[in-house]
Amino acid sequence: MSFKNMTITPGWEKYMTKEYVDLVERGPYGKQKKVSEMGSFKEVLEEHPMCAGCAMTLFIRLTMVGLPNPEHTILIGTAGCGRLALTQTSIPFIYGNYGDTNAVASGLKRGLEVRFKDQAKDVVVMAGDGGLADIGFSAVMHSWFRKERFTTIMLDNEVYGNTGGQESGMTERGALLKMAPKGKLFDKMDMIGLAQTSGVAYIARLTPTNPTRVASVVRKAVMIAREVGPTFIQAYTSCNIEYAIPTPKVLDDAREIESKRYGFMEIISDEAKAYLESIDTSKKAKK
Amino acid sequence: MYLVAHIDQAICSETACRLCTQYCPEANTILYDNAAKTAFVAVDRCKGCEICVGICDDLAKHHAIKMIMITDLKDTFELSKEGFRPESWTGKHP
Ligand SMILES: Cc1ncc(C[n+]2csc(CCOP(=O)(O)OP(=O)(O)O)c2C)c(N)n1
Ligand code: SF4
Ligand code: SF4
Ligand code: SF4
Repeated sequence: MSFKNMTITPGWEKYMTKEYVDLVERGPYGKQKKVSEMGSFKEVLEEHPMCAGCAMTLFIRLTMVGLPNPEHTILIGTAGCGRLALTQTSIPFIYGNYGDTNAVASGLKRGLEVRFKDQAKDVVVMAGDGGLADIGFSAVMHSWFRKERFTTIMLDNEVYGNTGGQESGMTERGALLKMAPKGKLFDKMDMIGLAQTSGVAYIARLTPTNPTRVASVVRKAVMIAREVGPTFIQAYTSCNIEYAIPTPKVLDDAREIESKRYGFMEIISDEAKAYLESIDTSKKAKK
Repeated sequence: MYLVAHIDQAICSETACRLCTQYCPEANTILYDNAAKTAFVAVDRCKGCEICVGICDDLAKHHAIKMIMITDLKDTFELSKEGFRPESWTGKHP
């Protein structure tokens, strides 16, 4: 897509839905919106059926604000809760089969680089811990080994939320779930370590407790994936249903887990760091 | 009948803190009127999770948000009816 493709042919405004007109006229296009402006611009995310108070919903909402160029972005997801919201954005969404998101993203990104030589197109995979660490594990790892230039965001609610509470590789040892009634017997997978071993250019781990940080991490990850190599964000996005967290306590839980075992962490390669510095310097020079 | 978030605009407008707009999980649900310097809720989008109440009470420490039965609200703002038109807000919304 591009913003030009979205604009309404003069005279046709009255036939378009309010939401569409608002998006074109008051959406986040042309200039990166700040988290502090939320509530004053039309967001790319619409209404959707994810549960009330779901931390994953909040994280997705903030991710959309962080995207440096939503009009030139394609999202890839799969079965799991997140796609219930991702499909309700004004960003093209590809529903990969459960397990093949990173294979689809690899081919798509390569194709876009051939087709649009003068315009960077960003590809962002957003899927659950089950989708990426279990069933999609092989495709994720191989996309990293091949240094494919797109961003992978794991919505880590530490459970298969959409199918009623099975344990995933990312569930903590001992966690009691509907479908893990004796508690999980194995450790949480170290996806951050695996990303590091496979040479991912930028890795971040975080929770949604700091909205500005979420948007800034997403922006960095997408920019680095454009020029340097694969990027990975692992986000704690609790499932309040399967972990029985009362919704008013969802952010208290995120803060607690963050301080215990999910602290903010960034691992960035020298090349990626130099690239970020170069875009910051060219931005300052323009001013 | 169900509860939705309601913002006391007299309290909110003294602060211009905007924190709840960033923490509500739902998009364009807590809106911000720059002219009147207050946040307000699009009730048709509020899922009643109460996250904003904790943000305003504990993080912002302003205590401007309460959960109210939707039937007890006299005037309501619905985004699906009004559209996203900040130029028309200017203190007129409930
Ligand atoms: C190949 C395949 N196997 C199983 C499923 C059924 N399925 C749908 S969603 C889901 C679990 C999703 O868990 P996760 O990826 O962690 O996302 P969450 O719902 O927790 O966000 C499963 C197993 C499927 N759609 N396709
Ligand atoms: S089931 Fe869990 S992860 Fe899925 S939308 Fe509901 S609270 Fe969120
Ligand atoms: S957190 Fe409270 S004071 Fe701050 S903008 Fe929201 S309602 Fe107003
Ligand atoms: S109750 Fe939840 S959905 Fe409603 S405005 Fe507050 S944070 Fe948003």
